[in-house]
Amino acid sequence: MLEYRQIDWKLIGSALVLSIIGIILIYSAQYDVQTGDSMNYYSRQMIWLAIALVTLIVLIHIPLRMIDFFSYLVYIGAFVLLLLVLIIGQSKGGAARWFALGPIHLTPSDIAKLALMAALSRFLAYSKLPPQSIKRLFVSGLLTVIPVMLILKQPDLGTSIVFIALLFSLWFWSGLSPFYLLLIVSPIFSLLASFHLITLIIYLVILITAILIARRGILVSFFAVMINFIVCFAAPIIWNDLISGYQRLRILTFLDPGRDPRQAGYQIIQSKIAIGSGGITGKGFLGGTQSQLKFLPERHTDFIFSVLGEEFGFLGTLLVVLIFAYIVYRGVAIAARCRSKFASNLAWGAVTILFFQFFVNVGMTFGLMPVTGLPLPFLSYGGTSLIMSWTLIAFLILADYYWTEY
Amino acid sequence: MRDSGTDKGLRIGIASIFLVLAFLAIISGLFYHQVILYNKYIVESENNRIRIQPIIPKRGVIYDRNNKVIADNRLSFTVSIIPFEKQKGVTIRRLMDLLDMDSTTIVKRAAANFISNHIPSPIKRGLDIDVISILEEQGEKYPGITYSIESVRRYQSDIAAETFIGYVGEVSPEEIKAFPGREYRPGSLIGKKGIEKTYDHYLRGMEGTEYIEISAKGKIIGPYRGKEKIPAVPGDDISLTIDIDLQRVIVDNFHSLDTQFCCGAIVAIDPRNGEILGLASFPQLDPNIFSGPIPPDIWQGIISDSTHPLLNRPLAGIYPPGSTTKLVTAGAALELGKITDKLLLKPCLGAMKFGNRIFHCWDLGGHGRLDLYHAIEQSCDVYFYQIGLLIGIDPWYDYVTDCGFGKKTGIDIPGEVPGIAPNSDYLDELYGVKKWTHFLMLNLAIGQGEFTVTPLQLTQLFCGFANKGMIYRPHLLRERLRYDGSIVKIAPAPSFRLPFSEKTLEILNESLKLVVQGEHGTARGRKNKAYNISGKTGTAQNPHGENHSWFVAFAPSEDPRIVVTALVENGGHGSDVAAPLVGKIIDYYLKKNVPELFTKEEVPDEG
Repeated sequence: MLEYRQIDWKLIGSALVLSIIGIILIYSAQYDVQTGDSMNYYSRQMIWLAIALVTLIVLIHIPLRMIDFFSYLVYIGAFVLLLLVLIIGQSKGGAARWFALGPIHLTPSDIAKLALMAALSRFLAYSKLPPQSIKRLFVSGLLTVIPVMLILKQPDLGTSIVFIALLFSLWFWSGLSPFYLLLIVSPIFSLLASFHLITLIIYLVILITAILIARRGILVSFFAVMINFIVCFAAPIIWNDLISGYQRLRILTFLDPGRDPRQAGYQIIQSKIAIGSGGITGKGFLGGTQSQLKFLPERHTDFIFSVLGEEFGFLGTLLVVLIFAYIVYRGVAIAARCRSKFASNLAWGAVTILFFQFFVNVGMTFGLMPVTGLPLPFLSYGGTSLIMSWTLIAFLILADYYWTEY
Repeated sequence: MRDSGTDKGLRIGIASIFLVLAFLAIISGLFYHQVILYNKYIVESENNRIRIQPIIPKRGVIYDRNNKVIADNRLSFTVSIIPFEKQKGVTIRRLMDLLDMDSTTIVKRAAANFISNHIPSPIKRGLDIDVISILEEQGEKYPGITYSIESVRRYQSDIAAETFIGYVGEVSPEEIKAFPGREYRPGSLIGKKGIEKTYDHYLRGMEGTEYIEISAKGKIIGPYRGKEKIPAVPGDDISLTIDIDLQRVIVDNFHSLDTQFCCGAIVAIDPRNGEILGLASFPQLDPNIFSGPIPPDIWQGIISDSTHPLLNRPLAGIYPPGSTTKLVTAGAALELGKITDKLLLKPCLGAMKFGNRIFHCWDLGGHGRLDLYHAIEQSCDVYFYQIGLLIGIDPWYDYVTDCGFGKKTGIDIPGEVPGIAPNSDYLDELYGVKKWTHFLMLNLAIGQGEFTVTPLQLTQLFCGFANKGMIYRPHLLRERLRYDGSIVKIAPAPSFRLPFSEKTLEILNESLKLVVQGEHGTARGRKNKAYNISGKTGTAQNPHGENHSWFVAFAPSEDPRIVVTALVENGGHGSDVAAPLVGKIIDYYLKKNVPELFTKEEVPDEG
């Protein structure tokens, strides 16, 4: 039987505070000045919160070993769901992302996120191969790439990036040396740098110097330099000569919807005005409704943080950021303390997802990050997102509770 | 598996530094925007609004084959409403006065073109500067109303251009769905018909966007500096295969016919490559009337007009081909070995009895005993009744479909219909199995009865005769002149080959020549000294009134440069109305493009 005193109640409390702030903000975001009423999103979110708490209670009664044991099975199940959503899923704006089960919209990509986290945690925990072995990297990469390809096909770039971040983060946590991690990531930077000649030269000089200083053997160094060079030189050729102007614009809009002026670019301007005009103390609860927030079509989901910024000011945003910081701090501490590699990886994965989504979403609202359509954990409207966030909390609680187990 | 803990401390250290920096970045970013830039944002939020204004690109110009303009653009103004900025009771009332529209129409238009609360939805297009100057001077009196400069299509109005160019109009919800992505939005213009529709993606270009700052009172302050404007990409110009001067000759000559001939179709094609030189449907429509929202009374007039001006007759008008397709019947009989060219059949006495029914020839005086050449020359029905029976319906059907009938030609504008090429299955379905006799074949052999074709299909058939059996897909696009200056030329696309041997084609061409050059030819009135014409007259039986008149011809017979088909509804015999029309069109074209023919003729005259 579960020993309730040993549960990390502060962690649960923090998540609960965030969820309640979310409901308050959703109420405000959908408040209609003319009727003096709010759309029923907030009450639906309350139901979702109740379901999320039930999920938490159920999950923390499951022994961690069982989650460990069923990881791969869950992964396969999620894979099937992802395939199904492509075939029979409902679409919104051309993207097939969810199933309709009565009033519930099931988004398999969120389930796949958790499934991948568990599967990667298990594989990286039990594989006896050394952290930088090609085979180990390949298998874990493959585990990630399969769902990523299916999600990109939906298409949902934002969620795919979370998967990649999860993979890199778990590689790092399970012992891959930062040097190799940077080497693996370096072609992405090469790709970005290749569009500006001086940046490219500086970047390549730094890269080659770093590789030479590290002295990791001729073969590895040569290979790393070659791949970077190929990416640098091929990218501009493909970009400039092989694809048409229309295609180029499509890709740019896909990678950075902020370029699309009528939608995302406009949202960013309005979001910045909303946050900035909140000042230190904000315009007060429901006080922002008459102003620019009416301009934000996604104000109860992706841009919920802008509502917070406008109505509760810097003090409000600081409070929420600090609560997130506390959750991340607790998560890192739990991951560090766990004796079992699986539990440690699982906790680390949970922290990665929560932190990454928080950072990208909040960064987006004031222009630090591009618009990707990632919701803010606990605060954004949406059942699957809320339940997923709480499931991550449940994993953290479990990892903490069983920290002494191997 | 136990975590060994090797260099775990180091990893926790790196992660901690990274996370602390990330949280600091977020907090300082929020501090920067909310505390330091507060004054800037509070002003923007209280006093200013930013409006998104689409920049409409120039729609590509449409030229004829000699770079003469058929369709270009003129500037006009569009007044739009911005839903978020409108004031209840004020905006719509002021608009009613300004635009002279009633409130329900305004509300309907605003709803139909709604995109978002902050993007203008067009209410009225094609306005002139007077209205705009009122808006400009008294902008504050018109909350939520804005205007933009747009180009409106301007077409050559008197050359039946609507037949092939079509027109543009506001995009419908179904069309937006049909073209996913964001290329069209409510209120965008889209090609609705003809070339404008087929090549809309070339012509339209890509919309740009600018951000405009406006004061709370609705005055435009200027471009918003926080966001760079995205310029529009102009549409590509295109040049058509049409010869606009020839097209004008076609239209003028049709109009100079007796006024009772209101309706018909003319098609002119260069048989060497399938380029359509002229294409006209009568009565013609002025495409300019479609450029704005069409006034309901004009639209009502068009759709209730008993002459059906919206019917694109060259492509979608279906008529029995009359004697023009006797050539196919003759070709089939030759290929199947049922006759030879010199074989004389039973004499024509003005009619012939088949079973217990009498079938008449068009010339009740009779033609006597004829071989194939003279049967085509004089278009003797009795001769073709006999070979029709020899062939039989299904073998005949195979040849007819192989000649392009009963299926679309693939012309590059929408709206084409296949017509009907009947076979025994079709007749079984129509009349019931065994409820019809093979004497129906007699009518089909002379191009009457259930067999129907479009003027375009018939022209295509004669392109085959003119071009040694090879048919190129009829098309209108000649060149695409891209906005960056490059030119994409359209190569002629081979379509199919007539199912006749070289020998058969020679026989048929010889007969076609006799129709004009022969002593008894049904179109001998078209004979002239400068060049030879080959052709075939036709009379399509019309149960609703006077028969329709056909003439299809190409010239010069030895090296054909143009094939012209004329169909005049209720025109009677092909030789009476349609043939002179075709003669004038061919004459104009050859004088313009092959002047040698005419100088050559003058030399012996002087001598």
